[in-house]
Amino acid sequence: MSTTTGKIKSRWADDETDAALEAQAKKEREEKKRQKAEKARKLEEEKRAREAEAAASARQAAPQQGDDDTNPNSEPPSKRRRISPERETGPPGRAAGVDSSSSGTTLLRLGGARGAFGPCRSVENYDKLNDIEEGAYGWVARAKELKTGNVVALKRLKIDPKDRSGLPVTGLREIQILKDCSHRNVVKLREVVVGEDTSKIENIFLVLEFLEHDLKGILEDMPEPFLASEVKTLLLQLASGVAYLHGNYILHRDLKTSNLLLNNRGQLKIADFGMARYVGDPPPKLTQLVVTLWYRAPELLLGAARYGAAVDMWSVGCIFGELLTREPLLQGKNEVDELTKIFELCGIPTDESWPGFRRLPNARALRLPKIPAANGSVVRAKFPLLTAAGVALLNDLLALDPAKRPAAEAMLAHEYFKQDPKPKQEAMFPTFPSKAGQERRRRQKTPNAPVRGQAADPLGAVDFSGIFSGREKEERGGGFSLRMV
Amino acid sequence: MSHMTNTLATPEQLYQRRSYSSLPPDLQDAILFATQCLTQAAGVLLQLPQSVTAQANVVLARYWLVEPLMGYEFSDVSAASVFLVAKLGPTPRSPRDIANVYAYLRSSSSTLFRSPAAPSPSPPPANNPNSYYLSETAYQAAHSRILAIEERLLYALGFDTHVSLPYPLAITYLKTMDFLGLRVETVARRVVEYLNTALLSPQMLYLTCQPNELAVAAIYNAARDIGAKMPECEWWEVFDVDREVLGFLVVGMRSVEGWAAKMRDDIPAMAKRMITRKDIEDDMACRGQPLGRNGYGADASVPDLEADMARQMDDQIAELEKSSHGFA
Repeated sequence: MSTTTGKIKSRWADDETDAALEAQAKKEREEKKRQKAEKARKLEEEKRAREAEAAASARQAAPQQGDDDTNPNSEPPSKRRRISPERETGPPGRAAGVDSSSSGTTLLRLGGARGAFGPCRSVENYDKLNDIEEGAYGWVARAKELKTGNVVALKRLKIDPKDRSGLPVTGLREIQILKDCSHRNVVKLREVVVGEDTSKIENIFLVLEFLEHDLKGILEDMPEPFLASEVKTLLLQLASGVAYLHGNYILHRDLKTSNLLLNNRGQLKIADFGMARYVGDPPPKLTQLVVTLWYRAPELLLGAARYGAAVDMWSVGCIFGELLTREPLLQGKNEVDELTKIFELCGIPTDESWPGFRRLPNARALRLPKIPAANGSVVRAKFPLLTAAGVALLNDLLALDPAKRPAAEAMLAHEYFKQDPKPKQEAMFPTFPSKAGQERRRRQKTPNAPVRGQAADPLGAVDFSGIFSGREKEERGGGFSLRMV
Repeated sequence: MSHMTNTLATPEQLYQRRSYSSLPPDLQDAILFATQCLTQAAGVLLQLPQSVTAQANVVLARYWLVEPLMGYEFSDVSAASVFLVAKLGPTPRSPRDIANVYAYLRSSSSTLFRSPAAPSPSPPPANNPNSYYLSETAYQAAHSRILAIEERLLYALGFDTHVSLPYPLAITYLKTMDFLGLRVETVARRVVEYLNTALLSPQMLYLTCQPNELAVAAIYNAARDIGAKMPECEWWEVFDVDREVLGFLVVGMRSVEGWAAKMRDDIPAMAKRMITRKDIEDDMACRGQPLGRNGYGADASVPDLEADMARQMDDQIAELEKSSHGFA
């Protein structure tokens, strides 16, 4: 493929004089190609003839004229053909996955999955249960669809009626991207609904699938950090979602624990695509004002106008660190402080570790210590309990040079996920009380005092041998550990 | 795969548009064609890439399958779709630029809808800047209309603005082909011309066929036009297009030019300038089927303040005229 592309590209770019030079060689090549094509055509014809024989009985009604049928001169213009609903019963299988065309070949039916377009439904189809959050992101509530009883999250698009540039482009992008996405680790947009009064569209709600938790809330509340196996499961799911997004030319640009949702079945989903956008390859010039400060990659802080998927991978690295410690990894107070914290953790960039970083707009004003010898990465020291493979992955994700960070797809195959302890099965994930679902926190550590006068329950014969099996093999937070500096 | 495909119109939508509209099919087609031409012209003047303008064309056509044609002024719907699509892409355009461009295109100075096929080409209209001067009030009003229709567009399309275009596919397909002795540029140019023309088609080809089908049909037509010999096998199947669809598209793409010429003859308002709702009402009145009061027919359930205001003023003027001339 690459050779043909190259050749044709040059053919497109060449002007006549260049073409003359190449004419001789080209002629020969084309002659060869023609012979080859001729051969292939003959083969194809033979094959078709055989197929035709086989399928002859099945398609007696089908026209046999071959190419002539597509000749506009011999076919009466079928102008109004497509506007009658007969079409549904007319050309068979058009809506279905496979079409039985006249030659009996199976053609790929593109676009069968996309539904029809039509007006939005009303928000009155949903019954609000409770508010989840109200803040910078707008208003989110838990609601129930009246017809089905399905519980969903309603997210209201923030609209400023005084804004004379119309509906916010970030909100529209979020809707479009979510509509295009379909992956188990990306939150699903069921539909967009509007307020009852459709003469003036003032209220726009995204109907999203409801998940009980966000990762930030869990990390804040949990008394002990996630087990290593749990961290792996979460990280794998995150990487798999991010790989899907990047594979579809989407940059999320605001990955952080509060934008990662988790349900009670251990499933993680990426949410909040307010900063996301489609990008080409190579990426176009983009704004640097993206990603919450604590998760913002150094190239963004240094003002790079062209950046790519690596900014999301930096955020993934920050999230990795946060999953291990329950604390955001790099809590800078402002851009400068954030950079300082990054350099403290990952070392001072040098021309070797990050070629070309000095050319970034904000790097010129940067005054770095002259001798960076002692300023390597201190990730190893900061995470003494992490395995060597884990440290390697974290170090890769937090590479200052964006070109050195692994792609999400590559991350999925990392050694860290293959080592023991293996990633925990999602179904085996612990559950947490859901704030969004208005579940009260159960204080599991202090059971109620026994009521006076009650007889003690006889335990009987219970086998406890299995309940902690496997768990003691894993590293746990707190307690005793060796420092590795 | 979803990147390369489009949501297509359902047979019901196509049928309803034809059968339940208050307008006869020829006027519906004329309005669609004129508005698509206007959108293309605006795209050129706004220096938008054709990929953006073409998406606006498709969004506009989809909108009119869902909502009645007479709901808003045609040029306003066109302006709003250009505004919306440009905003979502990498080349946003300000409402002021858009309002200015549309003011020009609608003015008497614009050459857009001058009949090109007139036997003696009429002299181009004098450039009279006053005819497209947009006062601040007029601009504010145009701006408000664009924003109102933008919301309406999004609502009617369920906020799905994804449009996949056949141009990149057509180029990719062309690269897999070998046009012996012919410059690929010649073929490619013709292919793009066919794809552009198809955007204007009253058959709404972009709403009934997938991009790969449009691309193959355009290549077929282009190859025929320049006399390239095509393989004798059913080569379109390589690109997942069946012969029936190809035949329909080939005819559909080729028929636009002749249809447009005939339509200009049949509907005189078309050959002068961008048609307006007023033109359509007049035309309907001439045909003896005046559009309902308040209504633009049975399907106009959309209250439109601008239009109401305009209609009230029309009514007042009509009443004044009635009282002065004394005819019923």
